Amino acid sequence: MQTFATEAVDWPDSAPALRQKVRALVAEHGERDPVRRANCWTKAAPGFSRMLGEAGLLGMTWPKEYGGHERSQLERYVVIEELLAAGAPVGAHWIADRQSGPLLLRLGNDELKARWVPGMVRGEIFACIGLSEPNSGSDLASVRTAARRDRDDWIINGQKVWTTGAHWSHFMIALIRSEAGSERQQGLSQFVIPLDAPGVTVKPIVDLTGAHEFNEVFFEDVRVPASALLGEEGQGWRQATAELSLERSGPERYLSSMVLFLELVRHAGEHSDPVTRDLVGRLASEAWTLRLMSASVAAKLARGEDPALEATIVKDLGNAYEQAIPELVQSAIEMDLTGDDVLASVTAYLLQVAPSFSLRGGTREILKGIIARGLGLR
Amino acid sequence: MSDTRRMLAEMADPLFAELGPQADKSDLARLEELGLPLLLVSEEDGGFGGNHVDALTVFRLAGYHALGLPLVEQIIARREVEGSDAHFRLGAFARTAQIAGALDAALAISVAYVNERQQFGRPLAKFQAVQQDLATFACEAAAANCAAMGAAEALDRGDAAFEVAAAKLRANSAASAGARIAHQVHGAIGFTQEYPLHYLTGRLRKWRSEFGGDAHWGRVLGDLVVARGADLFWPDLTARTG
Repeated sequence: MQTFATEAVDWPDSAPALRQKVRALVAEHGERDPVRRANCWTKAAPGFSRMLGEAGLLGMTWPKEYGGHERSQLERYVVIEELLAAGAPVGAHWIADRQSGPLLLRLGNDELKARWVPGMVRGEIFACIGLSEPNSGSDLASVRTAARRDRDDWIINGQKVWTTGAHWSHFMIALIRSEAGSERQQGLSQFVIPLDAPGVTVKPIVDLTGAHEFNEVFFEDVRVPASALLGEEGQGWRQATAELSLERSGPERYLSSMVLFLELVRHAGEHSDPVTRDLVGRLASEAWTLRLMSASVAAKLARGEDPALEATIVKDLGNAYEQAIPELVQSAIEMDLTGDDVLASVTAYLLQVAPSFSLRGGTREILKGIIARGLGLR
Repeated sequence: MSDTRRMLAEMADPLFAELGPQADKSDLARLEELGLPLLLVSEEDGGFGGNHVDALTVFRLAGYHALGLPLVEQIIARREVEGSDAHFRLGAFARTAQIAGALDAALAISVAYVNERQQFGRPLAKFQAVQQDLATFACEAAAANCAAMGAAEALDRGDAAFEVAAAKLRANSAASAGARIAHQVHGAIGFTQEYPLHYLTGRLRKWRSEFGGDAHWGRVLGDLVVARGADLFWPDLTARTG
């Protein structure tokens, strides 16, 4: 038994130049506030996203026909791991670039692609994901938001919740019950819904840090044309779960606390303390291992494989790592969490948000269930 | 996988399985006939000419089958002078690879056991608490294997001080988590001399200390990272690979 097929990653020759390009851009235009550099892929800065678009760093792998740059998957991986490690504010375009764009390009009709994709490449069009509902969280197949046909149109009614970035996004790709009376995974379809359509209401949900990142989204008789159906009618479940490999495998699943680890290294350089130094060693070991694992999954995705089990393993380990860092730092170093020095303020922020790391994108329990199935236990 | 590596695996896997944890010293001759102790000696010097990724294959299988012969020790002693830093580093890499193999083996017998053992009218595998423990185990085994591979590649590239330290530390913590779960899901039978789990977990316990335990490698790696400073951590990490 070997649960994770290890292999060398064949990094692109262009990687060093791409890294320099991203580092220079972030050094000049990135986030200055160290607290906002933590968990940076939830921080929306549309101006920064547009700048990435201008620099050719969005839609990197997408076809030129739609404005994309036709670079390799691993070149894109190099760019996103650089942005995350530097704490760049990539939240506005993150979902569009990671999964909505690839999904539209794979399954969308020409009309959908032409309408949305070029703006996403420019960093001007942002997207959100409509999966969770008030009674449908981890148990996603219990979706109740419904679409019914009205001649050539669809009429959508229902509600999505925990929708990250709905208030800055231009459209949502939503999983919706398109067959009345269908149950569970049957009768679901994906729809592309412009968020400025009549009948769509976005209401903020303020999180425990006081930030507004996610929302409730209500649909009241929202009318969309037949062309808003993404992919095949009734295949929404299969399409949405395939999307999860993209959602779960990226370096954002272990790098959310990287900025705090770097502050810890800085602190260790200024204070000679064996406890801190050993913690640096242990956390560096884990960061190095996770990067190899994450890149190895990226290499498999780039070859067109679907390493769903490996992606799940990386997310579970990565979440545990980024979640553990703030408490380990808090244990190792005496600090005043209300203080305004960088180490204390970043620690205080990450201690607050760390519980979300093993919830978003699939809870720890769901991930472990997937891994258990992969082991033949379910 | 390269042809050399496939050939090595096809040779070592059944042989180590046959020899097993209680191999007789006289069986060493069979390994010598195959040239295995010279795995990391160059062809010019009459060796097998394998690289560290080849060695990973053999070390991992020696761990997987809890091979009861000092083959791994012979391979590293033929390559580096005993007592040297290079020998210690190679030894730490070898233990990392053996831990990765032993964890995969312990995971395999744990999965087989919980699928077979019935309690409360159903296999243990159907209990969510057991499933989640074994999922954690699989993650740890995966991390140890990836760490071993990363160290092997670094040793082939040259300076691997960072990678060997990182890999041994990661494998050590995987060894501890994996052995704990393997025993937990086995219950009392895993605690007997008769049942083979202890061949694996006993070795995992020893290997965590051999060629540097957590305190040693934590200090080495911490010093390396702190000496370079926060601003060079990420550039260094990426410069090592691509």
